[in-house]
Amino acid sequence: MAAEPEKLSAAQRSRVRKLATPKELAPDEEGGELNIVPFLDIIMNVLMFVLATVTTTFTATIDTFPPKAGGRNPKQIEVPTLGLTILIVPEGFSMKAKGGNVGPGCDSIGGGLAVAKIGAEYDYAAVTRCVAKLKGSNPDFEAETNVTISANPNIPYSTVIATIDAVRKSDDGKELFPDVNFGLAK
Amino acid sequence: MSNAGNVPPAGSSMPPRQKAASMSTYKRMLRKEIRKRAGDHEANFLNITAMMDMMTIILVFLLKSMAASSASIPQSADLTMPKSVLTTEASQEGVAVLISKTHIVLDDQAVVDVPQDASHGVEAKFKRGGPNDLYITKLGQVAKDWRERDRQIRIAKGLEPAGSEAIIIADKDTPYRLLVEVLFTLGQTEFNKYHLMVLQGVKK
Repeated sequence: MAAEPEKLSAAQRSRVRKLATPKELAPDEEGGELNIVPFLDIIMNVLMFVLATVTTTFTATIDTFPPKAGGRNPKQIEVPTLGLTILIVPEGFSMKAKGGNVGPGCDSIGGGLAVAKIGAEYDYAAVTRCVAKLKGSNPDFEAETNVTISANPNIPYSTVIATIDAVRKSDDGKELFPDVNFGLAK
Repeated sequence: MSNAGNVPPAGSSMPPRQKAASMSTYKRMLRKEIRKRAGDHEANFLNITAMMDMMTIILVFLLKSMAASSASIPQSADLTMPKSVLTTEASQEGVAVLISKTHIVLDDQAVVDVPQDASHGVEAKFKRGGPNDLYITKLGQVAKDWRERDRQIRIAKGLEPAGSEAIIIADKDTPYRLLVEVLFTLGQTEFNKYHLMVLQGVKK
């Protein structure tokens, strides 16, 4: 039989308790570390607020250049160009190429709007189809990427941007006229 | 330690006093108790200082990156950018020119007020040659100052100094005439490339 473990006396137990109790630092001894817990609490609240209120917006930019003054040297023109100009008016889109004004429906040369509004909405899909048709009308136009966009003075900027989007690519993803210059309707 | 006096006197009703343990037992028990209490003390609270440090770093990083990005452009009733099908990354090169419903701002400086009906551009008094002119005088002056500074910087950096770039941040309802006046004025002050800023997010 194992020997019973030796027990401490009451005085010894009291002394053990006294010696084993961790010493609490006096207020003047606590200066070793700065208490930054309240500061961190504030930071935590601010972080939560920022994360909860931030709205992520993704932006893009459309690059354009100022219209260049003066004409091009005629000797440099070796291939026929389309020279497409789109005029945005309150009733729709008027299109003009070197061959003349594009007629209604984008089928022939003639007066009137190439693409008219449908009700109160501009028909951007028809603009894309018309521009793709014009570009495909001659293989020499394949490399041409410039278009001049002009508008009536009161046409809003969002309509101009939507038109730029409409002439950038065809429905099947083929590049049409991504390089835009602005003109001023006279 | 002495064991004398551990036995109560005869006839006393007090229980017999516990015999004191040996010194080695006493020390062993003392060490055990100290270890136990020290452990208890440490487990009193969760140490979240490391997590707090991390959160602080994330907060500073978020605030810095938001301040520097185009996401900091305020979208309000006064300035709401149009949406586009473009998904390319926005260019950050050049001076920011804001055209809101009420002001034209260049490089954080409000330059010209925009009238209620801006379909004829800014008011004639702000233009060089009357209502039909496209050149906005004050905008041209401020743009020229910025262009001169940019030219010096470009020379110092070894970049092409011939022209500067501008980021155009315009409200979606800005009339075309006002947009052209701003672009024309910038073009007159040797800005040769514009980045029209739009919001991504429209499906064609």
